[in-house]
Amino acid sequence: MKINTVVVIGAGTMGQGIAQWFAQQNLIVEMVDQNFEFALMSLDRIHQSFDKLQAAGKLSSSDVTIFKKNLSVKKLDGIDGNADLVIEAIIEDLDVKKKIFKDLDMTMSKYTIFASNTSSFSITQMAQSVSSERKQNFLGLHFFNPATIMKLVEVINGLETNPEISSSLIEWFNDRSKVACLCSDSPGFIVNRIARNFYGEALRAAETFDEVKFREIDKVMREVGGFKMGPFELMDLIGIDVNYSVTDSVYRAFFDEARFKPHRLQKDMVAAGRLGKKTGKGFYNYET
Amino acid sequence: MKHNVQSNHNNIMVVAHPDHPLYMELIQHYNVRTIDEAVNSFDTYELIIDLSALRTQKKFLFLKELAKTTKADIISDLTLCWGEWILKYSPQVKASVSTLFYSPTNAFEYSLRDSSDLLTEKHIANFAKTINQEMINHKNLGLCFHYPRTIAMIVNEAYFALGEKLATATAIDLAMKNGVNYPLGPIEWGEKIGLQNIAQLLEELSTITRDERYKLSTELKLQAFKYL
Repeated sequence: MKINTVVVIGAGTMGQGIAQWFAQQNLIVEMVDQNFEFALMSLDRIHQSFDKLQAAGKLSSSDVTIFKKNLSVKKLDGIDGNADLVIEAIIEDLDVKKKIFKDLDMTMSKYTIFASNTSSFSITQMAQSVSSERKQNFLGLHFFNPATIMKLVEVINGLETNPEISSSLIEWFNDRSKVACLCSDSPGFIVNRIARNFYGEALRAAETFDEVKFREIDKVMREVGGFKMGPFELMDLIGIDVNYSVTDSVYRAFFDEARFKPHRLQKDMVAAGRLGKKTGKGFYNYET
Repeated sequence: MKHNVQSNHNNIMVVAHPDHPLYMELIQHYNVRTIDEAVNSFDTYELIIDLSALRTQKKFLFLKELAKTTKADIISDLTLCWGEWILKYSPQVKASVSTLFYSPTNAFEYSLRDSSDLLTEKHIANFAKTINQEMINHKNLGLCFHYPRTIAMIVNEAYFALGEKLATATAIDLAMKNGVNYPLGPIEWGEKIGLQNIAQLLEELSTITRDERYKLSTELKLQAFKYL
């Protein structure tokens, strides 16, 4: 498979990371956001990241020059219609995603592969917004944050995805230091589903708001389980609202399956505005 | 099943079966007995370290039988038990440990009945040192310890996913290691712990809580009992 040009839709944290990673693979990358100024700021942040990597001796000056040249910010109506791959990484709103894919379907080459970085929506459902022909070239490519560092890419086949496309993409990613794993189109895919009970079970062990218990459980999971962070400190880092939202989404998508049921404590924390590090308070207090 | 003990732990009896993950280490240092041997033993010990893999009810009955033959203090592995219940009704148990589930860091949880009981804590420290393990104390014993119940749920979900053909076992392991930095993939983790231990723990949680979240994946059940 040859990929020369990639369009990344959405210049938030994930879009920015994905765009940077592709630029570092020596591909031409066009980054798009509905807010053009925001996309320019993201481009600036990527440039700063390249400069830091150069200063740390991880990239050469010639690499940085090439990578910066590979990246540009475009408006949606100015992207290369013959790009090999389009990756959508916008907010988790199914209607907005479907509209973007529908619009792109009318302007992009029939050979362009469409991919979504969604962590929660069905690829098959999203592909209903494009033509029958395009559905074969439509799949999920789920990156993990930070996309430049985390190796995993979940490659998700929708019901009508041509398996040869996903197989070729897996090979392509694996040749470029990523670990691409094929999975079927099921809520949460692999990671967001299996990781749910790292948090869910810890919440049930804690039962109520009790910082002593949170510390105890975190310590055990790090020092006995070998996890880099305990569940409560990790929820504080991710954002308790974000974690609760993913749990709730998987729970609903599995038709209220008890294994995924969110815990009352998560809901209470969100209601109280204790969202974790970003608000200064979560399961732990970060205010000095 | 008696073994020649190579160190000075003659005053300690360890109860464990050959399928315990630390068995090979244990028999090098301790008088290791099976459950049946332990309740029929006429030897006198100062301390009994019970590492039998029993669920709450059977553990309680075993400890009750053991109490008829000895006045020794007992440190008991309550990985598959409702620990608080056992402590309440088995007064000879001075502390609980959780050694049954493989730990990638070679560590185990323990909890003292009385947090000021320094002698029992010293016994646990000596035991941990002897078998080359670290020990992590906590005060909230609860159900089936923290690490075992959490990892059991993660492994169970991986088997649900496997049963639904969400991805291959290799892909599941790779995804969890490379997407969220797990030290082991859940399938390989489950194999190291032993799927029968995972199944027993979840069944115990299900029995005690009556919560459907602890139902076993059919795939895990199939794999766990395939050698029986």
